[in-house]
This record gives sequence, C-alpha cells and structure tokens, in this order.
Amino acid sequence: MNLSLAVRKNYGHFTLAADINVTGDRVGIFGASGSGKSTLVGILAGLMKPDSGEIVLDGDCLFNSAKKINVPPQLRRISIVFQQHSLFPHMNVRQNLLYGFKRTPHEYRKICFDELVTVLELEKLLESGVNILSGGEKQRVTLGRGILANPRLLLMDEPLSALDDSLRFQIIPYLKSVSERFGIPYLFISHSLVEMRLMTDSAIVIENGLVSKQTQSDQLARIYMGESCAGYINLLELHSMKERNGLCAYSWEGGELLLSHGNRDAESGLFELSSKDIILFKQHPEAISARNLLECTVISVFESNSKTGVELAAGSGRLVAEVVKDAANELDIMPGARLFAAVKASAFRRLSKKDKIPAKD
Amino acid sequence: MFLNDSDLQTIWLTIRLASIVTIILLIVGTPIAWWLARTGSRLKWPISAVVALPLVLPPSVLGFYLLLAMGPYGPVGHLTRVLGIGALPFTFWGLVLASVFYSLPFMVQTLQNAFEAIGDRPLEVAATLRASPLDTFFTVVLPMAMHGYLTASILTFAHTVGEFGVVLMIGGNIPGATRVASVQIYDYVEAMEYAHAHRMSAVMLIFSFLVLLALYIWRPNARNVIRGE
Repeated sequence: MNLSLAVRKNYGHFTLAADINVTGDRVGIFGASGSGKSTLVGILAGLMKPDSGEIVLDGDCLFNSAKKINVPPQLRRISIVFQQHSLFPHMNVRQNLLYGFKRTPHEYRKICFDELVTVLELEKLLESGVNILSGGEKQRVTLGRGILANPRLLLMDEPLSALDDSLRFQIIPYLKSVSERFGIPYLFISHSLVEMRLMTDSAIVIENGLVSKQTQSDQLARIYMGESCAGYINLLELHSMKERNGLCAYSWEGGELLLSHGNRDAESGLFELSSKDIILFKQHPEAISARNLLECTVISVFESNSKTGVELAAGSGRLVAEVVKDAANELDIMPGARLFAAVKASAFRRLSKKDKIPAKD
Repeated sequence: MFLNDSDLQTIWLTIRLASIVTIILLIVGTPIAWWLARTGSRLKWPISAVVALPLVLPPSVLGFYLLLAMGPYGPVGHLTRVLGIGALPFTFWGLVLASVFYSLPFMVQTLQNAFEAIGDRPLEVAATLRASPLDTFFTVVLPMAMHGYLTASILTFAHTVGEFGVVLMIGGNIPGATRVASVQIYDYVEAMEYAHAHRMSAVMLIFSFLVLLALYIWRPNARNVIRGE
C-alpha cells in the first residue's frame, strides 16, 4: 500500500487536517476517542467528502478537490471492518459473506470463498442467521465479507472495541492471518497500544484532528509509556506449562517464569506484563517475595514523560521496565549494565484464551 | 342474504379504491420518504409539514381545495382537459387522486420512520462492498424496511377504506362510480334503514379490527412475545 493523503474537513467545532504519506501493508492509526480517526476512515472510504485536499492510493487519485475528482465508495475497492452492527440482519452468514464477492468483477476475484471460510472457521455457521452469532463470530463474518470483496485496502475501524478481552485476543490471529494469507494491506484504527503492537508495523498518531506523529508501533508504546496508566505492556509468548508448588511454570525465551493464577487450562498463550510490575535491583537480592528473578542486561534506556524506560535482555527474551528518574540514577542504569529484574507471579495476565498465539512478524 | 347487491358493489368499489391508492402511494411515497429520511436540506421541514397536513386538516377543507384544483378553472382540471381526460370531480379517478393526498402521511411517515431506523451503517457497508446506491436500496434498504412497508400499506389501505369527508366532497355519491362503504352507511342512516346500516357497519368494524390485529401480530416484537422469547 502506498497512501498519500492531505485532506481538510471542518465540522464547526472540530477540524480534521490530516497530511499522511505512508507505505506498508500493516499500518495503524492511533488516537483517543474524538481525535478524528473514524472521520479519516470515512474520508478514505469515500463515505464522507473532505472540504479540500487530495487522496492518492497506489497511484490512483481517489479524491482531488481542485480537479473535482471524487471516486464513489463502491469504486474505490476499499473494504471496512467496523466496530459492530454491520452485518446485514436479513441475510444469513453465507449471503453476508458473498455480498461483496458477487459484486466484484471476475478479474479481481482472487480469493477463494471456501479457503477463506476454512481460515475463519465459519464452515458450520454458513447457513445460520447472523442474529444468533456471538460477538466474535460476527466479527469473523464481517472480516470475511470485507476480504471477499477483494479490496486493495482493508480498513479496520476499531474492530475489537466492542469485544471483551478474551474475545479480542481470539480475533486478532484471524485478523492478522487472513490479511497476510490473502495479501491484503490494511489500516488498523485503534486507541489501544497493545492492539497497535500486535496488528501493525508502523503507526500514525492523530490528536485533535492533526497528525502528530508517525512512528514504529513498538516505538509508539515507548513514547506513551509514561502517560499510560498501564505503562508499557510487555507481550510474552509462554509455553510448556508445568505445575510446580501450586504455581504454573512456563517456558519463555528469557527463561522460566512462574505464574500464579487461572492459567492451568492453557498449555501456552500470550501474556501481558506491565513495565510497572518489574522491580530492578543492582545486585542479587538476598530474599524477596517475588517468584521470578531474572538476570538481565540493559539494552537501551529511554525517557517517556517523567519516567525512564529500561529495555532489558534476559536470555533471548526482551522486557521493558520503567523506573522514576531518581531510581535510574541510583541504579546507574546505562546500556550494558547488569541488573536483576523481579516480577511477582501474580503480575501476568493472559490475553489469548485459546492456545493460538498471533503469528510473529 | 346478509348484504344486498348494492352493498357488495360498494364494498368492491371501496376495496378497488383502497388497493389502487395503496399501490400509487407505495410508488410515490417511497422516494418522498427516502428523501425526507436522508436529506439534510432545510426544505425537509416545510415538506414534512405539507405531507402531514391531511392529518390535521378537516377533510372538508382538503376536499374543498382539491375540488377547486380539479375543477375546470383549477390547475389539475386545466391539465386533465388539455390531456383529453376530462374533469376528475365526481369520477372514480378523481376519488383516487383525492385519496392519494388524503392518505399520503400514513404511507410517507411510516416509511420515513422505517428508513431512519436502518441508519447509515448498512448503507455505508454496502457501498464499500461495491454496491451502487440503487443496488443498496433494493438489496439492503428494502428488505430491512419490509416491516415498515407492510405497516404503511395496511395503514394506507385501512385509512382509505375509512374515508368519508373527502370522498363526499370530491366523489359525491354515484352508485358504482364513487359511492364507497362509508357513504353507503351514511345513506342508510339518513334513510333510517338501520338494519342495513348495522350490516355494513359490522363489516367495516370487523375489517378494521382484523387490519389492526394483523398489524400487531406482524410486528417482529409481537411475534417474539407470542413465541415467549
């Protein structure tokens, strides 16, 4: 995807003035509610008309106010996966899936219906009415319908916001695998830093209708670490669970980790660990209550708001911890320094309930 | 027999009138309702008020102006004369035209509500799935508004059947041409033929009850209630 967009849209109290040049197949648009993300989606898809500007996608001009070009949405080849309520209630799953496919000219039909249905695990639901589907199933159907329209760009407008945490992390592997398998670039819109990191490589930040930053998704999480209540969320893929003294011992690329709760039914999974839940020691502590003590090397140090982020290497695993500036000075934290990181067994939270881990980049 | 030939002729005429008016209003009312449901134009409010006028106007007022419009010196009368159709007042088709105006809000407002209830999202989704606006209307809007269409048709049909004032002003009381059920009952009462009036009124009463019953039963929520869902 090669997108060049410079548009202006005024709503009286709010003005969107976006200027974006982006290349890549997994791009995120990050911003708080009301920042203008959904307006941008509507403008890109042709559902809203900007007051002025130009939109060029892969060399094709979709909108140009000076030349009075405004390609209608049905001809833009841009599909949208909305947050919710977007399936046609009078059609069953099969009819919903095929709605865009049937209207796609034969030369653009590159995706096999049966293959997509298999990837999304919708085989048994094809003849069902959409009103009986669960939230996660509905989003899989919405995703499949968008993909089957063979778009050149898929817009995902907060597709996970309406789902609870357990469903959200069940859907992410589908979102990723479908677009990767069928080679469809996407723009992923969200206000979640974790979703941004899981779904995108680079991200555009929108604040009050203006593009404020354009950066790598992981970098984005570091930038916002100091402002976020949750800190930097470390995403850990853990596997080979064994019970030990009432705790769950998981293998991780940085060593063994002991987890305390609610994970006995999962052999493996994706877990989150906040940077706030990691305590750093300059020397090996004699005795501590935390059940995980990892010997680490400092890879890099970064500032975020009033906090200092510390990127650590533990074995081949990576962690980001945060400390206040005084603590950073006291511990003499600098790249190459050796530290001990302590993590309580209860600090981990499982994201994916199924044994399905979002594919690695 | 329960009803005499004149009654049956009147009922048939009433049903024919109501059916034609309903069909015309389905065709005419759909674009008006769609426009009212979707537009952001300032004309929306004056046009909505015009559409709703028959709800508040005395039928005699509406009938009077329609009579003037269809008369030999009115714009409609002039047009029908130029087209060689002749004068519309006191004819069946004059009655149809008057009834279309009189029942317009029942069709338009009901359809407008149904269209507004659909919202923007299904239309936006269809557009991004390569459906043209016309395609979207027939494959998404129409099926989703089907209950609204059913309700609007039943209300329009029933309202036309129950007309009296406008019918009397425009159609008069010509057997086989403009005498509808409500006028027939009025005639019976005037002639103090209460037995006949009772029979015709009973037919109208049962018809109205069945129409309303159908309306309530066919509401999607009502079906769920009956099923205990």
